[in-house]
Amino acid sequence: MTVYNREEVLLQATNVQLTFDQHPILRDINFCIRNITRPGLLQGQVVTLIGRSGIGKTQLFKVLSGLQAPTAGQITIHNNKSVKAGDMGVIFQNYYLFEWRTVYQSLMLAAKKNKQLWGMEKQTIERYAEQFQLTEHLHVYPQQLSGGQRQRVSILQQLLKGSDFILLDEPFSGLDVCMIDKAVELLLQVSLSDELKTLIIVSHDIEHSVAISDTVFILGTEPGKEGATIKKEIDLIERDLAWRKDIRREKRFVETIEEIKACL
Amino acid sequence: MKKLIEPFAIINRQTFMIMVAAQVVITLLLWQSFSDGLIPKPGKVASAFVTLLGTKLFIENMLVSLLLTLKAMLYSILITLLFAWLSVLPFFKSVALFIVKCRYLTLTGLIFIFTLLTKDGSELKLSLLVFGIVPFFVTSFLSIIVNINPQEYELCKTLGYNNWQTLYEIIIIGKADQVFEILRQNFAISWLMITMVEGLSMSEGGIGTLLIKYNKYNDLTNVLALQLSIFIIGLCFDYLLGSLRHWLFPYSHLKTATK
Repeated sequence: MTVYNREEVLLQATNVQLTFDQHPILRDINFCIRNITRPGLLQGQVVTLIGRSGIGKTQLFKVLSGLQAPTAGQITIHNNKSVKAGDMGVIFQNYYLFEWRTVYQSLMLAAKKNKQLWGMEKQTIERYAEQFQLTEHLHVYPQQLSGGQRQRVSILQQLLKGSDFILLDEPFSGLDVCMIDKAVELLLQVSLSDELKTLIIVSHDIEHSVAISDTVFILGTEPGKEGATIKKEIDLIERDLAWRKDIRREKRFVETIEEIKACL
Repeated sequence: MKKLIEPFAIINRQTFMIMVAAQVVITLLLWQSFSDGLIPKPGKVASAFVTLLGTKLFIENMLVSLLLTLKAMLYSILITLLFAWLSVLPFFKSVALFIVKCRYLTLTGLIFIFTLLTKDGSELKLSLLVFGIVPFFVTSFLSIIVNINPQEYELCKTLGYNNWQTLYEIIIIGKADQVFEILRQNFAISWLMITMVEGLSMSEGGIGTLLIKYNKYNDLTNVLALQLSIFIIGLCFDYLLGSLRHWLFPYSHLKTATK
């Protein structure tokens, strides 16, 4: 069993409700993400929010990112500070980038927003670009990038912005099998870059998301109640299913996937 | 052959060019066969066109019109940009929407007011042209703003931009290339108006004046030759503005690469 500790609260969702035209979309959303520490390692957090298509995942994604204000309740980060747009790094499903900016310009826009990088923006971009295999593509426009390159630029842009939280909306959607493996590697690399780095993956791709997560929250509806809520929390560390590269081959992992599917 | 009349069929460039050439030849043949004494035959118009191009009268008048159009377009685009950019501020939105509705006003009904407001014929023509063009430019630019992908705003928000920074990034910088597209698409409108406006103050000349003169004397051959030159210059400007846009904003003609 891996040695770890769950320490201070990094993100707290309290009684979040979202209603459109008196029609509840989300209700009673309560969960918290704690800082996970492992001796001798910079271990970030990877949390997955799983739910069926159309259940309200994207709306919860927008609420978490501060792009959509909840009807009631709140999302707090860093010692009770209410989340607002810009606090989180957000990677949209189709990896949207400004089409009129070159990759370098897009990255520079983000780097300039990060006070810790002031004066070192150029060097940092070059260093990260090499790490993300983007050096050759720094001076091209997004339209000239492949899906995988676009994804790396999107992630890098949000990393340069310097937020501890990175929200990813369906990061595996539209990628082929090889690209999914690369994306998984990349996300793991990001999660290990800083102790407080927290990836929140909103997805319906159960297998890939769960394989890289430490915690899973299942979003679903309950009989007789309108609006989606967190139906179940699964601690993958407790089940010894987290931080293991070949986990997908294990029977216990397959059983957990089945358990999640049954909950949806 | 069947493809030519099939909906959504894709034909290659060479076939397209052959098809266009054949259509032009058929049109010219029909024109040649059916034109009677009043309507000049294509050969006569072509010959008048070549003669016209070499005359000082044509060159001078064309330059007058071109200069006036370019001046009017420059002023119009500056006014358009100002109101279009400001339209995202609620206070100016109503003004921008009113300008859009001004498309329904006729210039003819406003000539007297503009004559009172301006000091000479040159100023009158310029102001009438600007007044006529601006509503079309603003309409085009506002439709671009309305159709902005919401993800552009969301990306700005996630990068921590405030509303002014968002305005700068998305509308001023992000839509700069569209200004050339608006100019290109609406150049035809300015070109259409110039002939009318020039008829109001004929002392300074221009192709509008020339057209009125030729029409007055029923010189249909020269009218058509002049129309042909107006058409060709219009096409040249269309190409020039398109090329300028691609040169200044290389991303505007990029297609998604499948790498």
